[in-house]
Amino acid sequence: MQITLKNLKRNYASLHAVDGVSLDIPSNTVYGIIGRSGAGKSTLVRLISMLEKPDQGEVYYGDKRVDNLPKDELIQERRKIGMIFQNFNLFASRNAEENIAYPMEICHMDKEHIKKRTEELLALVGLEGRGKAPVSTLSGGQKQRVAIARALAVEPQILFCDEATSALDPQTTRAILALIKEIQKKMNLTVVMITHQMEVVRDACDRVAVLDAGKIVEEGIVSDIFERPQSPVTKEFISALTTVHDSVVRWSEDGGHYTLRFRGTKTGDPIISSVTLKTGAVFNIRAAGVQEVDGTEIGVMITDIGPDKQIAAEAIKALRNEGVVVEETEEGF
Amino acid sequence: MNTMFQLVWEATQQTIVMVFLSTIFSLILGFPIGVLLHVTGSEEHGGILPHPAFYAVMSRIVNILRSFPFLILMIVLMPLSRLIIGTSIGTMATVIPLSIAAAPFVARVIESSLKEVDPGVVQAAKAMGSTNWQIIVKVLIPEALPSLVSGVTLTIINLIGYSAMAGAIGGGGLGDLAIRYGYQRFRPSYMVAAVVIIIVMVELIQFIGDRISGHLISRR
Ligand SMILES: Nc1ncnc2c1ncn2[C@@H]1O[C@H](COP(=O)(O)OP(=O)(O)OP(=O)(O)O)[C@@H](O)[C@H]1O
Ligand SMILES: [Mg+2]
Repeated sequence: MQITLKNLKRNYASLHAVDGVSLDIPSNTVYGIIGRSGAGKSTLVRLISMLEKPDQGEVYYGDKRVDNLPKDELIQERRKIGMIFQNFNLFASRNAEENIAYPMEICHMDKEHIKKRTEELLALVGLEGRGKAPVSTLSGGQKQRVAIARALAVEPQILFCDEATSALDPQTTRAILALIKEIQKKMNLTVVMITHQMEVVRDACDRVAVLDAGKIVEEGIVSDIFERPQSPVTKEFISALTTVHDSVVRWSEDGGHYTLRFRGTKTGDPIISSVTLKTGAVFNIRAAGVQEVDGTEIGVMITDIGPDKQIAAEAIKALRNEGVVVEETEEGF
Repeated sequence: MNTMFQLVWEATQQTIVMVFLSTIFSLILGFPIGVLLHVTGSEEHGGILPHPAFYAVMSRIVNILRSFPFLILMIVLMPLSRLIIGTSIGTMATVIPLSIAAAPFVARVIESSLKEVDPGVVQAAKAMGSTNWQIIVKVLIPEALPSLVSGVTLTIINLIGYSAMAGAIGGGGLGDLAIRYGYQRFRPSYMVAAVVIIIVMVELIQFIGDRISGHLISRR
């Protein structure tokens, strides 16, 4: 199901928590929304998921406008979406399978159907036989699996994830993201994934929007954004990616005034050598490596370019002509 | 000796009946008010139907009733007993003022138990399309159950104390016995018997309440 947001606004007193957000979230994709703490991500997801009404603007699921529904219709519409949270938000008073049964109970489905569907869902999330387990006895990853099963119980077309992996360790995060991707494909879901971690975007999302102070500052296909980040916030997120440090080898702790990013096939071309031949520039490489972003290879190189400013400028021009993204970096990363 | 045993036994039965009935009635009165206070409270405290004006008025009434000294409330409510039961003296007549006196306490206890429920869980229930009624019945109350049981335990214990006080103004039960026989007729043995039985009752209720609440928690 496609989701369309038109100029959404939500204020808390004088604070513009969400400040004019327009987005097209295509159906059948994993759509990331990334932003720093306080950027307005949770507020935005509450607006999109009909938990809160916007002060201004419109939300559409497909062609249906959903931000101004009357109460009864609102409740019916909410029963068609799934949502998972950072803190899992499972019912402590219910065991795993009773948690999964809840959304079906409130729609008054019959007991036999609920029982059958609960078994299926437990299997889907890899928790066969754990249905009777009290929630408190489950690990974080298992809790999120129960929450995913619960969210999928009513066969939604849209799944919202608000920081769904932020409380999990890196390994569990990868497993949960893989599960979400797998389910997305299997059920043709539209997944809206809110996060403050660029690795979540890299590992799970097809498209991403970057939210800062309530506004979308950048939007696009994930590999494009990684290759050519435009806004300072996006650049910050990308350079904060821990795996960059892991996969990029650093020879020298000194400087490195430029960050070069190469995409796809260019990773294999002898671009640096040909630029050297053409302009006489000297490259002093401080760090280099390859990042894989959603199946696309992006080469990263941190380097000084000499011998002087003029030749460096020529070299940068030549690099850019070759399709390499060149950024001046203050202190490398 | 025989008559003392009989008198004490009768008084004990009266106290049990008084406490039992007034627990039921104060819950019937106070529970919905507690739920109403919680749901109309501010959103930060987990209110699902915030209504500041309603909450403020309700909360004020509850506070005023709670700050009334119990004995005065009893006296004020005596005419009500006469109206409903036909008499203002005796066990049954005491149940009405006891229930009304305990209801605001119950309301606050219920409200504070419900406040402890994780707002995230309530938000999840709302996101799944629960009606407000479903949130109250299927989420708030079950999630708060161990704490609600502790609250009811506390209510019963308070009512045991109140019922003893009610005895002083002709309400029957162990308090009445202690005053009429123990104090006015100088029979300390009655006083001691009444006090010991009240202490045992309180201990017993506390023990049972803790066990139930503990059991509910251990199953989670
Ligand atoms: N109910 C509310 N009342 C008042 N202010 C709020 C409310 N909800 C959010 N805000 C404010 O709106 C801004 C955006 O909050 P929001 O929770 O959407 O941020 P976020 O991007 O989800 O942050 P985080 O990563 O910390 O979860 C913050 O400044 C926050 O203080
Ligand atoms: Mg948030």
